[in-house]
Amino acid sequence: MSKNKEIYGVIGAGSFGTAVANLLAENAKVLLYARNKKTVALMQSSRIHKNQDLHENITVINDIEELTTKCNLIFPVIPSSSFSSMLDDFKNHLSPSHILIHATKGLYVEKELTNETILKKDDVLTMSELILSKTSVVRVGCMAGPNLASELALKQPAATVIASPFDEVILLGQKALTSSRLRVYGSNELMGVELAGVLKNYVAIAAGILAGLGYGENSKAMLITSGMAESIYIAKALGSNEKAFLGMAGVGDLIATCNSSKSRNNTVGRYLAEGLTIEEINEKMTEVAEGVKTVQILHALRNYNIVAPIADVMNKIIYEGVSIETGLGLLMRFPTTEDTDFVN
Amino acid sequence: MNPTEQPIKNRLPYVIPDRKEWPIYKLSKDKKNFLKEVIEKTEKSLFVKFHDAESLHNELKSMLYKEKNRLTKQAWKSDKPEESIFWSEIKKKILETDKIEDDATQYKKDQKIMHTILKHYANEIVANFEPKTHSFARNILPWVFSRLTNTAPGNRFKFLWSSKKSLYEKLNITGPIEQIRELSKKGTVIIVPTHFSNLDSPTIGFIIDSIGLPAMTYGAGINLFTLKLLSKWMNDLGAYKVDRRKKNQPYLELLKSYSAVAIQRGAHSLFFPGGTRSRSGKIEDKLKLGLLGTAIEAQRINLQKYNEETAKKVYVVPVVLNYHFVIEGDSLINQHLSIMGKERFIREKSEVTTSFKIIKLLFKFLTAKPGMNISFAKPMDVFGNEIDKEGNSINAIGQKVSIKDYFILNGELTEDKQREGVYTRKLANRIAEKFHTTNTVMTSHLIAFTAFEIFQRENKMLDIYELLRVPEDEITFDIDNLKIELERVRQKLFELRDAEKIQLSNHLEKDVTHILKHGLKNLGVYHSHLPLKKKDNNTIITQNIKLLYFYHNRLSGYDLEKLFK
Repeated sequence: MSKNKEIYGVIGAGSFGTAVANLLAENAKVLLYARNKKTVALMQSSRIHKNQDLHENITVINDIEELTTKCNLIFPVIPSSSFSSMLDDFKNHLSPSHILIHATKGLYVEKELTNETILKKDDVLTMSELILSKTSVVRVGCMAGPNLASELALKQPAATVIASPFDEVILLGQKALTSSRLRVYGSNELMGVELAGVLKNYVAIAAGILAGLGYGENSKAMLITSGMAESIYIAKALGSNEKAFLGMAGVGDLIATCNSSKSRNNTVGRYLAEGLTIEEINEKMTEVAEGVKTVQILHALRNYNIVAPIADVMNKIIYEGVSIETGLGLLMRFPTTEDTDFVN
Repeated sequence: MNPTEQPIKNRLPYVIPDRKEWPIYKLSKDKKNFLKEVIEKTEKSLFVKFHDAESLHNELKSMLYKEKNRLTKQAWKSDKPEESIFWSEIKKKILETDKIEDDATQYKKDQKIMHTILKHYANEIVANFEPKTHSFARNILPWVFSRLTNTAPGNRFKFLWSSKKSLYEKLNITGPIEQIRELSKKGTVIIVPTHFSNLDSPTIGFIIDSIGLPAMTYGAGINLFTLKLLSKWMNDLGAYKVDRRKKNQPYLELLKSYSAVAIQRGAHSLFFPGGTRSRSGKIEDKLKLGLLGTAIEAQRINLQKYNEETAKKVYVVPVVLNYHFVIEGDSLINQHLSIMGKERFIREKSEVTTSFKIIKLLFKFLTAKPGMNISFAKPMDVFGNEIDKEGNSINAIGQKVSIKDYFILNGELTEDKQREGVYTRKLANRIAEKFHTTNTVMTSHLIAFTAFEIFQRENKMLDIYELLRVPEDEITFDIDNLKIELERVRQKLFELRDAEKIQLSNHLEKDVTHILKHGLKNLGVYHSHLPLKKKDNNTIITQNIKLLYFYHNRLSGYDLEKLFK
């Protein structure tokens, strides 16, 4: 049993939520909140979920009140599409004394998106911005890095970043997560780290396409490198900078996700290469691939003329019926710039 | 203006009638302990920074050098003759410690020298509030003000005898005044105004008195204390003296501690969060964090000392001062342009040094016929939450929040400087936002903005420096065209007003012909070269394009420029 008196909270029992709960459980007791009562009962009795054994320190619950009264530090780990409704459920139980570190790699847009939607920058929120706008919590942070849930479950060594404008949030997060199998870096670049986690997803879809087409390492390296550059342009246009992209949450996560056949976004790419439509793919997938929505949001921001050819082509392939061959052609013919022009 | 909040028509009675019950009087009465606390707090942070013999000794030498320089090269009439004697003494002492070889001994002695200097500074800074003279000032001031504001150029004799009732109509004071008055009984009120002119200090002091709030602690330029009458007045309004020539760190730290301890002791305070006057004429958006941080620190200390029910809450009230002209407009915009033009060295000179000049300026300022707009924003707590009638904090989604929770870590109320630094930045952003939404557009702002934008559109190829170098006699505005553009900008302003992003003066509701006429009559009226002037029935000219740019800037930050793209 742990000596730590604190109890950490996790919201969301998807594969990554479960993995995060297991990491935390190495240091303290953990309350893992799942919305579905049946899931809770099943998890408590079987002690196994999403192919992961549950650590003995974890208690799975369905009680919001219990989670928010017992835990000061809470990790929301749920898809961006249900983040807002989760906050609606939680908002009356949260106060400025709570600290929230989310691990969600998506963006929030209130409007229903179509290919014709036009958005302003202010319409697009990162998850921390969503928390700030919908609850009284002020001390927020995020967790991002090369953290494939399946590998974390196997207890393989890895690293992650906790980002927050508040040093105390970073320190708490480090204390909660650091273990012999996880190195935890800190950063004050909250928005940068969030965007790094978000923007790598559609690059991973592209990587899945390349893999599906049978292309090798040169193509993949080209994609990862230009994907990182593109992410930096987007981040700068949205008011952040390049710093986070050169670290664990940026290039680190990008390499892991683009290389892994276990990554959801990567899987979407492979299916696309097989010729499946997005509707067909959605039916086959059990969990959400965030990148699919991210390209749609970036497309809706087109009035800002952000240079993002990969995102643009992914949107064309997924939502406009452009063939993969044509899309790839577009990318290869896109004018080159000076190498590493994002570094001043 | 919010239609439910009518401008103040008369001077309001004091919230606390007995001046001896005012926080500032209590502070003044306990001056000795107060200053002791201020100096201790200053030393605590200074000796963290200058933690060894070498760094402290070097700081002392650098202070001495700068102060000697100030006394010789930047001398003002307000400088007391004892000053140079004091610094000669300090020099002797520093020379003595210079010779000490043992670091520990030297450090100890140097700490004593620093203490002497801080004490000297503190005694110079300290406000001197006297309830007796305050009463006198209170009765004489409105008289002086109303006489001054009633005058019309060329009608000097009549103004002495004309009616006094128009004073408050000219000083168009709007906002949730009643709530602010109530909150001043419950907690500590911190007023944070925009800053465009040297005369903002006495003006806002007078306004605060007019709405019946107790006198507030605030820093005012030491040059305003030169003249006896003005000095008395400033003291009575609660002002402490700030010398902006002194740029050494211990002095600045002392000023910060002064404000911090005053707030902690529940003294209502006022400071200009922009730090200095807005050079460009824009509403400030980058605020200084130092003094704002003291508000958050004070709130935390109050909560540490008392329980949440009895701990005094700190309320922050942004105020936007609007007038048709800024006397120093000319020199401010020139300073702005040379800063922007990367001219590194700008001579720090006082535009206002002699008593005569101050009086003359104040006179000009207050005799402006159309008066001014003073718009108070809704009060907030130090975290930017709005405040309900009972003084509770209400967050953006309408929940009642406990301010203690912001300082809680694992159930304990803790001190964390970095955390408070982040809160301070958030507060600064909230204040800047309120400045923009509380800003009241006057006719002069609108015509200056529109005219300059037309000029800029007609000269797309020129950058701002080239634009401002176009000879004035080559610039003309066609009145009919100007009216069309005024109407377009006005429509956009209505939209912004409806979205609660800006406020509009009553004149903006009238037709464009009136707006143009009223604006022309008032825009920068006292400048020798007018920003805009009617030449004939078809044409308007400018006599000073930089000034036109300066007044135009008042409406930047609202995306109105895109109407001219």
